[in-house]
Amino acid sequence: MRFPLRFEARTDTPKYLTYAVPVVSVIAALLAGIIFLLATGYDPIDTYQKMLQGGFTTFYGITDTLGLSTVLIFTGIAAAFAFQMNLYNIGGEGQLYLGMIGGAWAGLAFGKSLPSAFAVPAVLLAGVVFGALWIVVPAIVRSRLGTSEIVTTLLLTYVALNLMNYFIYTSTSFFRDASTTGFPQGRVLPKAATLDPIGSTRVYPTFFLAVVVALFLYWLVKRTEYGYRIQVLSDSPRAAQYAGINAQRTTLSVMMISGALAGLAGAALIVGPFGKLDISITTLGYGYAGIVVAALARYNFVAILVTAVLFAGLRTGGAKLQITSDTPIHIGVMLQGAILLFALGGEIFRRYRLRVVRSQQVVTP
Amino acid sequence: MNSNIWVLTFADSIAIATTLMLAALGALFNERSGVLNLGIEGMLLMGTVSAFLATDATGNIWIGLLVGTLAGGAAAMIHATLSVVFRANQIVSGLALVIFCTGLANFLGKPAEGRIIRERLKPLDLGFLTDIPFVGPIVFGQDIVTYFAIALTVLASVYIFRTRPGLTLRATGDDPATVDAQGLSVALIRYSYTVLGGLLVGLGGSWLMLSRASAWNREGTTNGIGWIALALVVFSGWRPMRIIFGAVLFGFTLQLPFTLQAERITFIPTSFTQMVPYLATLIALIALSTPKSRQTLGAPRSLGVPFVRDER
Repeated sequence: MRFPLRFEARTDTPKYLTYAVPVVSVIAALLAGIIFLLATGYDPIDTYQKMLQGGFTTFYGITDTLGLSTVLIFTGIAAAFAFQMNLYNIGGEGQLYLGMIGGAWAGLAFGKSLPSAFAVPAVLLAGVVFGALWIVVPAIVRSRLGTSEIVTTLLLTYVALNLMNYFIYTSTSFFRDASTTGFPQGRVLPKAATLDPIGSTRVYPTFFLAVVVALFLYWLVKRTEYGYRIQVLSDSPRAAQYAGINAQRTTLSVMMISGALAGLAGAALIVGPFGKLDISITTLGYGYAGIVVAALARYNFVAILVTAVLFAGLRTGGAKLQITSDTPIHIGVMLQGAILLFALGGEIFRRYRLRVVRSQQVVTP
Repeated sequence: MNSNIWVLTFADSIAIATTLMLAALGALFNERSGVLNLGIEGMLLMGTVSAFLATDATGNIWIGLLVGTLAGGAAAMIHATLSVVFRANQIVSGLALVIFCTGLANFLGKPAEGRIIRERLKPLDLGFLTDIPFVGPIVFGQDIVTYFAIALTVLASVYIFRTRPGLTLRATGDDPATVDAQGLSVALIRYSYTVLGGLLVGLGGSWLMLSRASAWNREGTTNGIGWIALALVVFSGWRPMRIIFGAVLFGFTLQLPFTLQAERITFIPTSFTQMVPYLATLIALIALSTPKSRQTLGAPRSLGVPFVRDER
């Protein structure tokens, strides 16, 4: 017997599906979360209510969410930029660490002698450079030899993690705070190299930088000759070849920019909430979350602003949940993954419609 | 220099290689059928945490192994459903699986944090064989899962290259249309091998927990072994026998930092020796992507491409 349902190709995609698919995915993931919470013995209503309060509906909930969304916007646009050319920079996490290392280095080195107007940009610029340098080997071998950037960028994340450990735990490290005798801590940057949050919130001015950079990239990809080159290369490499577009050079530059953006995410954390090299970053997974943020936004830079805030809310909600109840914080990360999984499944409805196939067989009575 | 420590190092390299071998073999089955599953690290984590919880609850390591194996298979079903039935982007689906499984494993493992399980898989004791100096503990002192993994890899090689279903498997990864024309279901074959791959990865994860880790240490439990396993498949040229060799090689680099620490060889900081496995994998991958080696490697031609009959 044949399965009575079949996917049939759509000739055109209705506009509403572009919005409906992500929205339904979020709802479906939350419903799946309810079943999961019930199965593991937690109260789903209470859990969601607390997450909603912690992430979205109270003043500090909203501002904390916006604050956290800053780094997710940066890592999201980093992943999305590479994807414009069907490249997968999965190592955003490692480039973010390098951005932090670079930013902290610049801040510690120049923060004392430069005024804030120069010191803060120096930190951010160092993050950009370090992030770009961390992806340079994967970028070169991808463009020259075609080595899969997926695994190479990821492997370097583990190298970056160990580098981070080295800089924080080595007693003679430039980055380490020599005055504390307890658990190793990063040296706090001079005041001039960091920014204050806005009012009593945890939103830093870097949030606006993230939004501006996202909008700039949107313009870059849609409206410039460079963006056009990327589009042609991703749609039809052969057409690009005939048009004389240098695929190698464009691949290299796109990956380097992606790495630079992830590095900027790290430097923004140095300027913003961290203010020092902090080992706790290695447990937060902001780089990986950026991939989810970008994929759910379907690599659209403006949509990333929305998905980054949504996921930041899930995380801040999850984190506050752990303070007020014994439900593990990880429910937030799990829901992120679930939302993306549902969104991927839902993608098919944009391209196909589900049709009931009547059985052709004659049923003998 | 304590030669005993080096014997232990080699023995432990083979032991670590077991997880790598099983995970890479699982990934190889996926990829041979044409499904690229980047979710290995996530499935491995599900295997480790499930094995911990099941063993902790029942006190029986065999139940732990079984539950961990099934957990890997269950996680793989998500990827199989998305990539085979829903024809989703396999790269993104695999990554989403890693993130989902990491969150889920951490959620489930929360009560297990800071505890250890006492039951462990014990190495076989083959009497005088295990007592042979140097060679004994390395060759005859492993536990049963290690021998099982090696045997399975050899069998997989025979299966893939010498049997009829193996031929079908290779054809599904290379040219699914011909398999479809034979009246076989490409979807069913791909789905089955993706789940089989997940079971193997799950077994690798459970073994890691029950033989080596014995405590749940979040993402640090697997520490990127799943990603090395993925690279190992490329390294092996999609041939099981070469996985054994590669796994032992990378197993050694993963084990080395611990030995150097134990030997108090500290002129190279541990952070740097711990980078070696990842850098070695990276260099191997780059070396293998030169045009010359690419020809001899032979990745499945339809790897990562969903098969849709009506659009052929």
